[in-house]
Amino acid sequence: MAADVHNKGGATWDTAKGGLAAVERMRSDRSDSPTPGLVEGTEPGAGQEHTMFVHAQSFEDLTADSESNPDAELTGNRRSAVGDSEEVQEGQGVELQGGSTGNEAGEQKQWAGQQRGLRPAREEDVTGEAWRAHRKHVFVLSEAGKPIYTRYGTEEALSTIMGVMMALVSFVEAEKNIIRSIHADGYRVVFLHKSPLVLVGVSRSSQSERELSRELQYVYYQIVSLLTLTQLDHVFRHKQNYDLRRLLAGSEHLTDNLLRMLEYDPGLLLNAVTSLPLASVARDALSAGLQVARAKSLVFSILLAGSRLVTLVRKKDQYLHHMDLHLLFNLVGSSSSFREGEGWTPICLPKFNTAGFFHAHISYLEPASNLCLILVSTDREDFFNLSDCRRRFLERLRRRSAYKALQEALHSPTYPVSQVGIPELWHFVYKSKSSGLYTSPELPVPYQGEEEHERLIRLYRYLHSCLHHPTRPLRSMYRSGNTENLFAWATSGFELYLCFSPLGTKALAMSAVTKLLKWIRKEEDRLFILNPLTY
Amino acid sequence: MISPRMASGMQEKQYTPSLLSFFIYNPKFGPREGEEEKKILFYHPSEVEKNEKIRNVGLCEAIVQFTRTFCPRKPAKSLHTQKNRQFFLEPEENFWMVMVVRNPMIEKPNKDGKPPTVEYQEEELLDSVYGAVLQQCYSMYKIFNSTFNRAVETGGVELLIQKLEKFFYRYLQTIHLQSCDLLDVFGGISFLPLDKMTYLKIQSFVNKVEENLSLVKYTAFLYNDQLIWSGLEQDDMRILYKYLTTSLFPRHSEPELAGRDSPLRPEVMGNLLHYGRFLTGPATLKDPDAKFRFPKIFVNTEDRSEELHLIVYKAMSAAVCFMINASVELTREFCEQMDALVGPQLTLLASDICEQYNINRRISGPEKEPQFKFIYFNHMNLAEKSTIHMRKTAGASLSSVHPDLMKILGDINCDFARVDEDEEIIVKAMTDYWVVGKKSDQRELYVILNQKNANLIEVNDEVKRLCSTQFNNIFFLD
Amino acid sequence: ESENEYYLELTENPVQFENASSVNNVFFDEANKQVFAVRSGGATGVVVKGPDDKSSVAFRMEDKGEVKCIKFSLGNKILALCYCIYDKLSISKEDTQCCECRNTKYTKNASVLGFCWTNWNEIVFVTDQGIEFYQVLHDKRTLKMLKSQSINVNWYIYCPEPAVLLLSTTVQGNVLQPFAFKNGTMSKMPKFEIELPMVPKPAKLNLSERDIAVATIYGQLYVVYLKHHSRTTNSSGAEVVLYHLPREGSCKKTHVLKLNTTGKFALNVVDNLVVVHHQSSQTSIIFDIKLKEPDCAVNVHQPVLPARSIHPYKIPLTGFPALLWCFSLNTHLDSSTWSVFQPDIIISASEGYLWYLQVKLQPTVNLLQDKGKLMEFLLRRRDCKMVILSVCSQMLVGGDDKGNLPVVATVFDKLNRVYKEYLEAEQAYSVAMESGSSRFSNSYKRPIRTQAVIDQSDMYTHVLSEFTEKKDVSHKFIIAVLMEYIRSLNQFQITVQHYLYELVIKTLVQHNLFYMLHQFLQYHVLSDSKPLACLLLSLESTYPPAHQLSLDMLKRLSTANDEIVEVLLSKQQVLGALRFVRSVGGHDNVSARKFLDAARQTNDAMLFYTIFRFFEQRNLRLRANPAFNPGEHCEEHVAYFKEVFGEQSLMKPATI
Repeated sequence: MAADVHNKGGATWDTAKGGLAAVERMRSDRSDSPTPGLVEGTEPGAGQEHTMFVHAQSFEDLTADSESNPDAELTGNRRSAVGDSEEVQEGQGVELQGGSTGNEAGEQKQWAGQQRGLRPAREEDVTGEAWRAHRKHVFVLSEAGKPIYTRYGTEEALSTIMGVMMALVSFVEAEKNIIRSIHADGYRVVFLHKSPLVLVGVSRSSQSERELSRELQYVYYQIVSLLTLTQLDHVFRHKQNYDLRRLLAGSEHLTDNLLRMLEYDPGLLLNAVTSLPLASVARDALSAGLQVARAKSLVFSILLAGSRLVTLVRKKDQYLHHMDLHLLFNLVGSSSSFREGEGWTPICLPKFNTAGFFHAHISYLEPASNLCLILVSTDREDFFNLSDCRRRFLERLRRRSAYKALQEALHSPTYPVSQVGIPELWHFVYKSKSSGLYTSPELPVPYQGEEEHERLIRLYRYLHSCLHHPTRPLRSMYRSGNTENLFAWATSGFELYLCFSPLGTKALAMSAVTKLLKWIRKEEDRLFILNPLTY
Repeated sequence: MISPRMASGMQEKQYTPSLLSFFIYNPKFGPREGEEEKKILFYHPSEVEKNEKIRNVGLCEAIVQFTRTFCPRKPAKSLHTQKNRQFFLEPEENFWMVMVVRNPMIEKPNKDGKPPTVEYQEEELLDSVYGAVLQQCYSMYKIFNSTFNRAVETGGVELLIQKLEKFFYRYLQTIHLQSCDLLDVFGGISFLPLDKMTYLKIQSFVNKVEENLSLVKYTAFLYNDQLIWSGLEQDDMRILYKYLTTSLFPRHSEPELAGRDSPLRPEVMGNLLHYGRFLTGPATLKDPDAKFRFPKIFVNTEDRSEELHLIVYKAMSAAVCFMINASVELTREFCEQMDALVGPQLTLLASDICEQYNINRRISGPEKEPQFKFIYFNHMNLAEKSTIHMRKTAGASLSSVHPDLMKILGDINCDFARVDEDEEIIVKAMTDYWVVGKKSDQRELYVILNQKNANLIEVNDEVKRLCSTQFNNIFFLD
Repeated sequence: ESENEYYLELTENPVQFENASSVNNVFFDEANKQVFAVRSGGATGVVVKGPDDKSSVAFRMEDKGEVKCIKFSLGNKILALCYCIYDKLSISKEDTQCCECRNTKYTKNASVLGFCWTNWNEIVFVTDQGIEFYQVLHDKRTLKMLKSQSINVNWYIYCPEPAVLLLSTTVQGNVLQPFAFKNGTMSKMPKFEIELPMVPKPAKLNLSERDIAVATIYGQLYVVYLKHHSRTTNSSGAEVVLYHLPREGSCKKTHVLKLNTTGKFALNVVDNLVVVHHQSSQTSIIFDIKLKEPDCAVNVHQPVLPARSIHPYKIPLTGFPALLWCFSLNTHLDSSTWSVFQPDIIISASEGYLWYLQVKLQPTVNLLQDKGKLMEFLLRRRDCKMVILSVCSQMLVGGDDKGNLPVVATVFDKLNRVYKEYLEAEQAYSVAMESGSSRFSNSYKRPIRTQAVIDQSDMYTHVLSEFTEKKDVSHKFIIAVLMEYIRSLNQFQITVQHYLYELVIKTLVQHNLFYMLHQFLQYHVLSDSKPLACLLLSLESTYPPAHQLSLDMLKRLSTANDEIVEVLLSKQQVLGALRFVRSVGGHDNVSARKFLDAARQTNDAMLFYTIFRFFEQRNLRLRANPAFNPGEHCEEHVAYFKEVFGEQSLMKPATI
């Protein structure tokens, strides 16, 4: 089944180009904040030599698009991969013309295969209270105002509303202006026009406009990751009011799942991933294992334990972007099909290159465990090579003691905050900027309910957006409320978010920070990936 | 408006926010195709071409309609675009007021003669502030004209249109968008701290006058632009206070300072002389053909709307507002009677208060600590206190701290407004200023500390100290 | 003149005695206020009626001729008689066995004018040539001469309290020589001259005994001189001139009371008022020498009130149907049967009645329009309290007719001045008592609280509380009045009682004037107190800000931390309460159970978790173990915690 899925023109050289592009961006985006204190790269959790990720995915970087100048925005050409996407389009164009039906059928099969009843019943009365009451709506539509996605209810039922949305967008743009958001008591509507798509978010939470539009970008890239921007542009250039759902049918659950991740995974907020706590010896052994099990077309080897990174090995000079990694996580996390065997699927990693497809070999090392191996290759014909890499890695692994350590680690993928030894400290999130990794203890009892969990993340999100305000950022923020006391602190080296008992004092918060940083330093080789490897 | 500043070696022009347009419409007035123009009751700038007016109104209607799909009862309050922000207010059913403010922008000249690139600063305007400014526009209209509906009832749409023209033409020139800040959100009243005895004297003065001149329905007493007593209900007083302190008083203060202006020479009443004079109505009673017309105000418009003459009488720094049922014709006799009765007493009181006032000053020591500046507001009685703002000049009240800090205060205020529970927020800005926001049972306190290398604990102690000196007589949750 | 305009009246129950007749002579002794009815020279008995029945005596004595003067010594110890025909004196003890003692010493041709007891056993004889001061040794039945003074005397007046004897000397009789007596000593006081309206040629006795009285007014001794009108000096009419007769120093003319009329007059002094009866008009007028006349010199006084007759007195005639018999004193002034005695006694010998003259205050209220003056007048009277209070109520119900408020203000100020003076005296006294040193304690005597002291509870119960109930009075005026009263109290630095504040609040609330109330509290016009704070709390339902106001008040009281905690807990602000307790450093002693209970009631698991943890840590800090003591009775909460958050969430001693 995989065969006809990936006979698309994701040519190696343009990924290489994409890679280069990425590297350039890496330099340009290094946020050199003037903050004194820990020098970047020396903070607890900082990687030893080179890091794994495109660097300093500061909040500003992600929203940069929407900040940038309008005309570029309107005409919708993308920064990266403008040049190279041209050629690709030709090729794809032909492909599409030729077997477009087949393609679509195939895709539908594929997505459907992954989905299998994951998406809950979506029939909802879009005029009813229940529908309005949803905390966050997300809509995607084409520039022709055609519905592409809605988080709740069915696109059909919402076509008129989406029509209005498009009308508003274009009305304002007619004045050489850009609509950003509408604010009312208790909710806000945020617009994001990324040609050829228009995304609209409606949030009832106190979430800031910027945060919301950032999440819309995630959704945008999620869609791009399925089709590549090149193909998107192409489709709409040829058929203005094309119904994109025909291409995306069955993929809604990916977006659904992504949106859920955004609700409770601080990683997407911080542009970082967290790793499985593991003794560095064991981790290094695993990394070495992946390093050995290489293939010429292999760009990234990623070992996951659920949503936690165990290790990642990459081609020299090729960096993976968090967002792309999160999209991979999302792909894996939202599809049960990969448990049934080795999956082989094309995927565009938009932050790497919006124009072309990679090909991901996805498989669980054991049926029972949630150890998942993702091998990303540039070669659409590479399935069997990669399958072989997997085998080699496994064989080597089974012989190593590291394997046992890994097994144990899997049983306790996290740790209680009490290990830090500060009674009033209930929870925290620590991000090492240079390694792009974060660590955070398991949720304390009162936050384990879904409601409270999401609330806590919302609080962190609130702190985050205050610290990273585009025009008046803050060094630190202390907030004492009726449910918890919060403290957030950003330096050039790290970001720290703490949640205390509301009866904790400021003095306590101060001492806690020092104590916590010591503790993390002590634990860093277990909590972080200090020695990332390349092939 | 334009403040050039040096940046990156090249000359940049910075433009402060400005009023792009301001209009009032009622969709019910022109429901049918082609009748759209009828909806528009007021539009500034008036010279805008008709179809554009209609288009902009249309957009607003569309926005409002659109948001109703997500919350029928709470439609849009503002629209953010790259270049400007639009603020919507529906003060009376189907009557919409819209204010469009252009974002501040920086004009960066380009080398080799390319046209300068304009950069809009989209994060600078605070919705809460300009929403409040719009609300103020309505309140100010209402206190001098009563409600929109009432105008329509009495004189039809034509009358309403006239009133709006007449009022807003002048009013819009007086709002200074660039100097609006948190204080506009509060719309508070600054009360004069006063010892009990002096206060009681004022009480008894007011009571005696009201008894003697039974026409007087309400009285308000101010000193140095600070309120001491209000017989009006809080909400009416709030807006009247705004009018007095930002419009009426400043207009009259100048001549006083200049020392000319005849009323300043004391009137001799019987055996004691007094400095009383009317700020509204006749400039001087001596003028044989002086007109005894006073501005009219409308209060309690929610229930039984009352129309009143507004007499403002001042002696030295003490000003009294006497409000009299508008149905009564005010005569020279009455004014002379009032002058004779109030003038001498008020003069005495004024000097009493002045004495007390100076005593308090001496006690409280130097005006404000250099270490911190603060804003205090109490939602319960609208009491407001700011060491950040200079004395209000006509319209604008100048803040003495960096605008970014003021905006941080605004952000914190928005956060407080979101949930109705006690909260405290302490932030350290990139400029290393500390900003503290405290909310305790309807009270809000904002402190800006300039102790760059203090830590959270020291800052907290500093604020505690402030509370114990400035606010030890009220209950502030720690 | 209507019934309620008589401001002078005679006592209800006069002293009755056998009326004077050919066989019955009547005498009056001002010293003991006793009336002697001597029937046929005493042979058929002497009946002595005093002001009260105790002091009335009856006895017989042999007739030795016409009695000139008869008096008991103080306490009815010794009786002294003086006969007319031959200048013989007889002293007798009350057992009627009598001893005549012919006094050898004094000169043949001196004629006795009279005598007066200065003590129970000391007596002064006054003759036209001098005075002799004796002590009676009644067991020896002899007199012992203590002192004597020879001086020409025209007539004399004796004022028993304080024992001062006034002698009229010189030809014209207008030089008065006072003597003061004090247990066994007689001291000569500086003499002084009464200015006569005109000097007659040739000089002759020109100052009649009838025109002079001696009386104590406001605790000072005055010689009261009724100065008749004279055609030569163009005075507006007769005057009463007061000469102040101090203990030490010489006598000075201090007050002139303008009668503004001429004719015959008589004087009384009642309740420190000088009452002047005028014959021809049959009316009387009163003067208050403390009442300052604003528009004339300090010591010249006009009548306080318009002239009015004394309230008609009804004498029941036995046998006849009771008939109203209009007592018009003045018609009888000349006839000997009607006589006026100091200070306040009027006797009708012919009818056999002795009355005390009294001032009725109620009528004065309507006669004296100037309320301020009225108050001053009333405040100096003996039984003024109820009248004053009634004046107040009346003045308020008089309602909000223009310009009433300033009057109210002045009245309140006058009342509170007196009130304050008393409080200060009280205070000084108690201070002296505390300082306890003996020399103070006896020199200070507790200040007597006169009726003029109208305190806040008087005002509250008799005037304000019912006034505020009045429906027909505008609430504006009611509040104005209350504020005036509070203002006045404050002006005199009198601490206001909270029930007055409650009255204010009640009234404001009744009329929904919450914003006014708020402003008052804002300026601490209503001073802080726990009761007030509680009252405010009770208002919260109708006026939410009251909650904040009362919390502020409790905070200012600084003794009400417990109350604050209670208030917060009652509002389910458990966290706030605990934070507050901590801020005042009480968090180690509060009851964990109390807060856990409160937290439970909120059904907020998060909150309960927080509070529970807090106390676990407290336990840990205080006794190195997070577990609760049995004494704290938190078992159920521990159980609940386990149930909700699981056993493992309990804090382990190990975690530290």
